[in-house]
Amino acid sequence: MAEIQGDGSERSRYGGPRAHDPEPPDDAHDDPAYITRTKFLTGVAVVTGGVMTAAILVPVIGFAVADTVKDEEFRWVDIGALGDFPVGEVTSLAVSGPDPESDRRVFLRREKDLLTPMWNRCTHLGCPVRYSPGGDSFSCPCHGGAYDSEGRVISGPPARPLDRFDVKVVDAKGKELKPASAPDDARVLIGKPYSVDDDFEKYELRGPGEPVEGVLSNLFPF
Amino acid sequence: MATKKIGPKNPAIKVGEAALGYVDERTGAKTGFKWFLFRNVPKETSWFQTLGFTAMALFGMQAITGIVLAMFYKPEPTQAYGSIESITHEVTWGWLVRGMHKWGASAMIVVVFLHMGRVFFFGAYKYPRELTWVTGAMLLILTMFMGLTGYLLVWDQKAYWATVVAVNITASAPILGPYVADIMRAGPEFGPNTLSRFYSIHMLVIPGGIATFIGLHLFLITKLGIAEPPWSKRRIRAVREEEEARRAALRDRIPPGRRPVPAVAPPSAPEPVRAATPPDGSAPTAGSGS
Repeated sequence: MAEIQGDGSERSRYGGPRAHDPEPPDDAHDDPAYITRTKFLTGVAVVTGGVMTAAILVPVIGFAVADTVKDEEFRWVDIGALGDFPVGEVTSLAVSGPDPESDRRVFLRREKDLLTPMWNRCTHLGCPVRYSPGGDSFSCPCHGGAYDSEGRVISGPPARPLDRFDVKVVDAKGKELKPASAPDDARVLIGKPYSVDDDFEKYELRGPGEPVEGVLSNLFPF
Repeated sequence: MATKKIGPKNPAIKVGEAALGYVDERTGAKTGFKWFLFRNVPKETSWFQTLGFTAMALFGMQAITGIVLAMFYKPEPTQAYGSIESITHEVTWGWLVRGMHKWGASAMIVVVFLHMGRVFFFGAYKYPRELTWVTGAMLLILTMFMGLTGYLLVWDQKAYWATVVAVNITASAPILGPYVADIMRAGPEFGPNTLSRFYSIHMLVIPGGIATFIGLHLFLITKLGIAEPPWSKRRIRAVREEEEARRAALRDRIPPGRRPVPAVAPPSAPEPVRAATPPDGSAPTAGSGS
């Protein structure tokens, strides 16, 4: 059934495998393991190109990304004298964020012996919440999240209570005082923000939308 | 038989043809354009198949109006909104060009989705056009990114907080979400760098990506041709023939005696009487059903 082709090779009439294939010619270039000049130069070109691309991309990506993933640094900020914050009221203060447009505020609630500074960043998706003295509650304009006077979620989508700031009351020499017994000219300082759960247990600061407890909090391990 | 005019031509035409010939000989441009533009399309092609071109034309309009808007826009938090006010109210036809860009953006999103729906409901994503669909999906993502990054540039309250929300939605994605959000907003909070970053992505990164993927998309469309709509008679026939061939192949695997007898006689004419001996001399096959 074999027929001779024009180029002298032999081919079966059906294209399938045959019992006896001719031996490959004894030529090193047909051995797949043999490095020909072409193969070698292709490899050189690929490696050189890869090194050059990496030499460009690594600095570029590092430049564009490295600084952005750093955490924000917070320091102690003097926000005024203790006497400026009447007992039983919530005072709204603009504090400097990285950008004036970000409208970062602290709501400082002063009880008799307790200062509670709350961040106005909604824990749903980061819109600025506002305080309404009538209902003594906080509400977010974006998706209707609402918080009670201490920042607990009372309705809407937020994942956790409002974030809070570290706070301390110091005298002129920097000695820390108790809010209940401090004089009116003692200074109030706020520091790092932190997240809280429903029992106001302290957690490391989380981004908006990230729960601090429960199964879903494991989705944000870093 | 049409007669061919010989003799001197208009010298302008001659020069034009010579120039075309010069270019074509060296680049193959004429062949390429013929391959790209003068190809066969299915008989049943309708207005539905023009949505993809509409999306591309809208992208072209966005690119051109975007270029001239960039000549007046200032990506700087203190000036951004003011420069847009001045584009709208002071620059000649600024209201028109900005309106074209704004409404063109909305129209592009709408048309892109209609186009995707058309491809889906026509089954035009099926073999061999899967990768055309994939490049189209990339274009959809890039278009949505265009919408997100462009929305912030107005830098009014709505733009600002809507984008804050959008980036925080990104941040609430598990594991990598917070990092992606940090990279998008150039830090833990929105700021001046966010605006420049969005501006750069909006006018440099994504347009390049969209142009690249439009090129791939068009190449695949040209190479594979336009899909026939589901009601195409040719397509229906081809599908039916394929099915029949598959069934016949299945039937042939059962020994002849055990083959199921079709309930109804096939509507085709009875098998023609075979010649007693085929020309190659082998015995005629009996009852193989072929």
